[in-house]
Amino acid sequence: MDFDFSDDQQQLRDAVRKWVDKGYSFERRRAIVAAGGFDRAAYGELAELGLTALTVPEQHDGMGQGAVDAMVVMEELGRGMVLEPLAHAFITSSVLSSYAPAAVQSAWLPRIASGEALVVLAHQERKARYRLDVCEAKATAAPTGYALTATKSIVPAGDQADAFLMPAQLDGKLALFLVERAASGVTTRGYVTQDGSRAAELQLSNAPATLLTQDGLGALELAVDTGIAATCAEAVGVMDQTVALTVDYMNQRKQFGVAIATFQALRHRVADMKMQLELARSMSYYASLKLGAPAPERRAATARAKVQLGQSMRFVGQQSVQLHGGIGVTDEYIGSHYFKKLTQLEMTFGDTLHHLGEVSKRMQETAGVFA
Amino acid sequence: MDLAFTPEEQAFREEIRAWVHSNLPKEISHKVHNALRLTRDDLQGWAKILGKKGWLGFGWPQQFGGPGWTAVQKHLFEEECALAGAPRIVPFGPVMVAPVIMAFGNAEQQKRFLPGIASGEVWWSQGYSEPGSGSDLASVKTRAERVGNKYIVNGQKTWTTLGQYGEWIFCLVRTSNEGKPQTGISFLLIDMKSPGVTVRPIKLLDGECEVNEVFFDNVEVPAENLIGEENKGWTYAKHLLSHERTNIADVNRAKRELERLKRIAKAEGLWDDQRLRDQIALLEVDVVALEMLVLRVLSAEKSGKNSLDIAGLLKIKGSEIQQRYAELMMLAAGPFALPFIEEAMEAGWQGDFPGGDASHAPLASTYFNMRKTTIYGGSNEVQRNIVAQTVLG
Repeated sequence: MDFDFSDDQQQLRDAVRKWVDKGYSFERRRAIVAAGGFDRAAYGELAELGLTALTVPEQHDGMGQGAVDAMVVMEELGRGMVLEPLAHAFITSSVLSSYAPAAVQSAWLPRIASGEALVVLAHQERKARYRLDVCEAKATAAPTGYALTATKSIVPAGDQADAFLMPAQLDGKLALFLVERAASGVTTRGYVTQDGSRAAELQLSNAPATLLTQDGLGALELAVDTGIAATCAEAVGVMDQTVALTVDYMNQRKQFGVAIATFQALRHRVADMKMQLELARSMSYYASLKLGAPAPERRAATARAKVQLGQSMRFVGQQSVQLHGGIGVTDEYIGSHYFKKLTQLEMTFGDTLHHLGEVSKRMQETAGVFA
Repeated sequence: MDLAFTPEEQAFREEIRAWVHSNLPKEISHKVHNALRLTRDDLQGWAKILGKKGWLGFGWPQQFGGPGWTAVQKHLFEEECALAGAPRIVPFGPVMVAPVIMAFGNAEQQKRFLPGIASGEVWWSQGYSEPGSGSDLASVKTRAERVGNKYIVNGQKTWTTLGQYGEWIFCLVRTSNEGKPQTGISFLLIDMKSPGVTVRPIKLLDGECEVNEVFFDNVEVPAENLIGEENKGWTYAKHLLSHERTNIADVNRAKRELERLKRIAKAEGLWDDQRLRDQIALLEVDVVALEMLVLRVLSAEKSGKNSLDIAGLLKIKGSEIQQRYAELMMLAAGPFALPFIEEAMEAGWQGDFPGGDASHAPLASTYFNMRKTTIYGGSNEVQRNIVAQTVLG
């Protein structure tokens, strides 16, 4: 039982923080949002830092690091509200190295590691909401490989990515495929989401696809759990900054002749924010540390974590706006962007109610971290 | 980073588990697991069993006869005791006054008082709160006047938990009105059999007399019972608070009681009731989050890095969780939590409980009793002040 970061992890944190502080200013972020919410050059900078290679196995030109390293990186990217979907590099490297045939791994993992290929998970459908076992996309065997017909929604950087991990029904069972965006029969429609990042609707009509695994549900669950852990860590970074910003503001803003940080009603609100932040940080650790556990244990852990993180994000975000007063609801002020980021993260990979349902469904007679 | 305990820690846990299993009397754990009334003999009996093993002062360093355990080992010990259904160690002697005597008492006092605390023979009480001094503890008025080689004590303490059994009481008393209120307080040990000491139980909303008023009327206390220096008592009391660490969260008991809540929900046919079940699920997340927070603090203590100054958070969350499980247990029983039949809270009661299930008897009482947790030990509002101070300055 040890929650200290190694020296290497601390150096990794410092390097990412330095890049966020120097290379990803609020002004640059604003420009990226205005230009559509995704900047390939910024993604390339993440790759130059070695972050796209972080969890790719070493034999595929990666660094072979683990979930805690990914967590450290996501916390720091959260602090800068980085728009480029690095979490999907962690998702795809994890799923491909666990489930994909060797040839697919050799073809894609080195390109993911170098940042040359952006591969994202494209699983959401209108009728599934957050459920993973509901999928209308269909795959059929084709002369060479498979053909997919599907509609997938809110795919991160979906009109910019090079390829997608995509679940589809194959002979009545969920399977997972890799589809290239440039393939015939793929059309995309991009847009900006509430936090300023880019997403797209995907339409596939008999698009050629590579089968990754016939255990589509198992692979999709691993993908989403990896995504949940990354989202939790990112949220901790966003909340850290949100609390710091709020504290700063309260110590400067004067009303009735004194700093508003002196008012007890507001101080107690800050104490509650700190509570939510530390519970969230604890559960983010928990999610990342359980990523390597057997699937049922891992699933239960990420659901519990997302319930805590969801509650924390909503509380910290809403209270930050309230404690700022009018300035908190302006677009000009960075605080409103933290709030929108937190809101979007709560609704990414399953919201609080969805995961409460998961925790409820999986509940055993025992209790606690080690149960 | 690693969630698992080391093999050594795991082996330590097994050792404790086996020992508790063979030494904790079954009639006591039965009462604890079913929230039945514990007698003085139950509490002190368990204390003496621990004392004989040298574990009543489980947090003590070896130089004072303690086991010298690490923070993690202490946590594991408390966890195994709680899960097995051991009563909480009455903290006033071994956990509260003993560390003060060790840190600030003289050799004579250590020799005189520590053995009786370590063995569980002597029952200690805490004399801090007064009718006019709750959260604002520094305003205590109970006066100790130095006359020759003794103090004459006059005043009143209150909310003295289990004071009806107390043989000795450690008190914050006013020895000076000069300067700030904090600087005129002394830490005095008083024999409760002294003439002029009167203990009056206070009946609480659950019908129990868990706390007392303690009156001091010209009580003579030998000056040798003063700990450390006169007017430095506040510093000593604060030292004590800084050493109440992770156990303030009571997460181990929360785990045991969450399991009990689930058993009650099943017995009531509510395990598949989605509305109640979701509430239990939320509590389950709370308990895991609190346990992770506790583990983080333990890890920080172990490595000496990243010290976490979050005792206030542990107290707030831990107490809220205790209130919540008690509330849900009562709600699970529904109307059958309402009959107030005190005898039914005694072990072995054979009467006919309304609705037919006597296990409902203590549920509402526990719910009412648990309202204390957000009030005592520094109310949760005071804790929020402390947390806010560390965040906002």
